[in-house]
Amino acid sequence: MQRIFPPGLLFIVGVTVLVEILARLGLLSSYFPPPSAILAALAQGLANGEITSQVGMTLSTFAEGLVLASVLAIVIGVLMGAIPIVYDALKTIVELLRPIPSVAMIPLAILFLGLGSPMRVAVIAYASFWPLLISTLYGVRAVDPVALDTARNFGVPPAEALYRVTLPAALVSIATGLRVSATIALVVTVTTELVAGNSGLGFYVSQMEQASRLPSMYAGILFTGVLGYLINLIFFTLEHKIVFWSPAARGAVQ
Amino acid sequence: MRNASLPAKRLYWGTPLQRNLLGIAVVLLALVAWELVARAKSSIYIPPVSTIATTFVHEWFSPQFREHAIPSLMRMLAGYAIASLLGVALGVLIGAYRPLFRLLDPFLQFLRAIPPSAIIPVGILLIGIGDAMKIVVIAFGALWPILVNAADGARNVPRERLDTARIFGVGKTDQLLSVTFPSALPGIFAGLRTGLSIAFIMIVVSEMIGSTNGLGYYILQSQRSFAIPEMYGGIVLLAILGYTLNAAFLAVEHRVLAWHHGQSARPV
Repeated sequence: MQRIFPPGLLFIVGVTVLVEILARLGLLSSYFPPPSAILAALAQGLANGEITSQVGMTLSTFAEGLVLASVLAIVIGVLMGAIPIVYDALKTIVELLRPIPSVAMIPLAILFLGLGSPMRVAVIAYASFWPLLISTLYGVRAVDPVALDTARNFGVPPAEALYRVTLPAALVSIATGLRVSATIALVVTVTTELVAGNSGLGFYVSQMEQASRLPSMYAGILFTGVLGYLINLIFFTLEHKIVFWSPAARGAVQ
Repeated sequence: MRNASLPAKRLYWGTPLQRNLLGIAVVLLALVAWELVARAKSSIYIPPVSTIATTFVHEWFSPQFREHAIPSLMRMLAGYAIASLLGVALGVLIGAYRPLFRLLDPFLQFLRAIPPSAIIPVGILLIGIGDAMKIVVIAFGALWPILVNAADGARNVPRERLDTARIFGVGKTDQLLSVTFPSALPGIFAGLRTGLSIAFIMIVVSEMIGSTNGLGYYILQSQRSFAIPEMYGGIVLLAILGYTLNAAFLAVEHRVLAWHHGQSARPV
């Protein structure tokens, strides 16, 4: 992700002004309200808590799903990566489950968990589990054998070698997987709210569409974009902070 | 120096055949366990695997396939094709001209950050719930990762390649087509892969929200009418389609990027 260059910022402002003028002149379809109306709706929704409360709901579901997925994916990924027999036992089942699109699990989750937030958490966790599992697994398997042999020669017990050699080495890959999983988790959060929600930003957007409150609908979409941007930024920064020592994070290699 | 005297014991046990058989055995064991639990509990939520299998064969080796699976696939491929063409063409152009990239990058990053399903309500509003809406929504979702990755790929073309081309008097347009584009291909394929999985998700979601046919509609409708084996069967079909699409994509990528894999230091 790049820094926001001034010309880029100017471009965004320029497009906004252009759309505003076109909308005010009546040159756009009435389905596109002027940006000023959208921003006003956004400000209003944030001030009177209409959007704010939904954001809280979205973020807590997102976080619960992501944490659940992360714990499972890292534990299983490390086990699969470090112990060959575990890898061989589970690889086929992983290959079979991974291609199922996460949203196809929504009806199944509704069946068992109803329409509330546990259902959403389960679908989010399912969706964000796979990228992190795969990157943890590959990270652990790609640990330099010489480093492990060295640890063994110095009499480091296997459990400690896992903690001191394998995990730090795999952290680069785990951090990348976590960022990908976080992005997916947000997309799936909004999606489940849209398809089968009773709260959250996705639910808000579809409510506003049905109520024909278009500026509010666009304000909701705008806010999901802001949220997506911030979450990506946070995890990107985190990735580079955690693995500051890796060449990729230092910018030596792309 | 690699330690030749120590076999890489850590990575292997048994013969490759034994190792693959173990994986398959675990899957079979899980299916048998499911069957037994389902028969013991006889809950309608967990139908036995055998019931799901018969329902699957009955439902999908029939005209149903043309009614639900074909529309889904066609919409998805149409949306994905639009996203790929636009994304690659615009992405390479934007990436190749640095000032353009600087101008557009924050805007594109923002558009990419919008969860694509959030624009389904806009699509329904503007174009109704027909095929066109689904194709547009799929294309919108898949476009940004493809475009951004293509732009990154084109931006990071090794300088010496462009310099070499210039020294040999290759024109601007030819540089774009015969140097920048091929060099950006690894990035383009990374974007195309992400785009494909997003397109697949978007087709299912858009059919769940506004549709009268397609696999997303079928699965949700089966759940709502408590046709539970049908619901599981639909999920299985989606898994098979997802697997096939991904395998086809990887085969194409492998062919197109064969030169790149040969060149890079470590196998990807």
